[in-house]
Amino acid sequence: MYVWDFTPVLANAGLLAQGLVNTLKVTGTALACGLVLGLALALMRLSRRRLAAWPAGFVIEVFRTTPPLVQLFWFFFALPLIIGVEMTPFLAAAVTFSIQSSAFFAEVFRGGIVSIERGQWEAARAIGMTQPQAMRRIILPQAVKRMIPAFMERAIELMKTTTLVATIAYADLLFAANEIAQKTFRPLETFTVAALIYFVVITAFSLAARRLERRFAVSGETTVH
Amino acid sequence: MQWDFASVLANSDALLVGAMGTLRIFAICLVAGLGLGLVVGLGRYSRRRWFYWPATAFVEFFRNTPVLVQILWFYFALPILMPFSISPLAAASLGISLNSAAFSAEIYRAGIQSIERAQWDGARALGMSFLQAMRRIILPQALKRMTPALTNRAIEIFKMSTLASAVAYVELLQQAKLIASLNFNPIEAYTAVAVIFFACLWPMVQLTYFLERRLARDE
Repeated sequence: MYVWDFTPVLANAGLLAQGLVNTLKVTGTALACGLVLGLALALMRLSRRRLAAWPAGFVIEVFRTTPPLVQLFWFFFALPLIIGVEMTPFLAAAVTFSIQSSAFFAEVFRGGIVSIERGQWEAARAIGMTQPQAMRRIILPQAVKRMIPAFMERAIELMKTTTLVATIAYADLLFAANEIAQKTFRPLETFTVAALIYFVVITAFSLAARRLERRFAVSGETTVH
Repeated sequence: MQWDFASVLANSDALLVGAMGTLRIFAICLVAGLGLGLVVGLGRYSRRRWFYWPATAFVEFFRNTPVLVQILWFYFALPILMPFSISPLAAASLGISLNSAAFSAEIYRAGIQSIERAQWDGARALGMSFLQAMRRIILPQALKRMTPALTNRAIEIFKMSTLASAVAYVELLQQAKLIASLNFNPIEAYTAVAVIFFACLWPMVQLTYFLERRLARDE
């Protein structure tokens, strides 16, 4: 009968904590860049100019339909040779997950913008707003509110996807767990603790997301499409 | 720089082996994941506590942990509790299947819940038992509504199959790694694999869009 012993894991709690911080760092960076880039891609794809719409559509489709791990390997192993730049695991992860999540965010933005009634555009035009003004002041504020649940879901997906950086030796939570498991010969305890940490953090985020969603539902905006 | 795909083409047999590996794990996880998902989804729908609670715990746990963590847990941690070793294929299939079961369970549950009460009443009026009504009346209608979401899941499973390379299972990405390190051609090797995945997944994505549009038109 196997005797569980968590003391070797506890002795390395600092490593795990640092790993969690690094996980959050990658997630935060990719989230911030992904949102900005996603909005830009969505506006481009909605544009009537083909020169803007087609490249945006191409980026969105490619990054939504290829596996994230393939993208990460491409950005880490192939891209540095093409552009002749040294790539760190963090940089590769930040770039990959920013673009990857921006492709998904773009579709959320697009769906939200399209869902706003024509009348809102017409009213904005009637009081003399230009297209960009109407978008910024009238359409986006309403659309973003409807998009929040989808954003939260994507953000949580993003956090789970960041575990892939462990495969290119970035010291995130999973990588730290792997190190500890090899050092202490306690893979069962280490990987179980790592899984539990992920579970607690991700559950906390999704509970917060659900609560926020309910608040928006109460304030009269349907968030369910 | 000079692109040289000849060195990748020279290794097309290695890529073929990888493609077979990808297809094998995809098929296993598709059947196991969506099949188990139906059982768990029925559990989530059930009013009986001893059926509902385990299903809910399963769904919450597997949805709220990263699938790569699950795969590594099955590969490195589970064998310690088991009297036998676990192959890379088994570990990766377990992780991806259970994860997909948790996600598809919610699709099944939502699909079943979306069927009007009157359908249940009608089936009952004809003297059907719960299981008969579910099998003959509810599920066939619900499945139609669920098809786009389930196709989406299949696409996700296909993408997740690359994670098996983390435990050195021989699939496409693993073979690309091998080719890149033997021929020093990471650009061509990884680009080739990315193109292969895109070519396989693109038709599936278009199919999902088509199914979504058709469903929106029918309902």
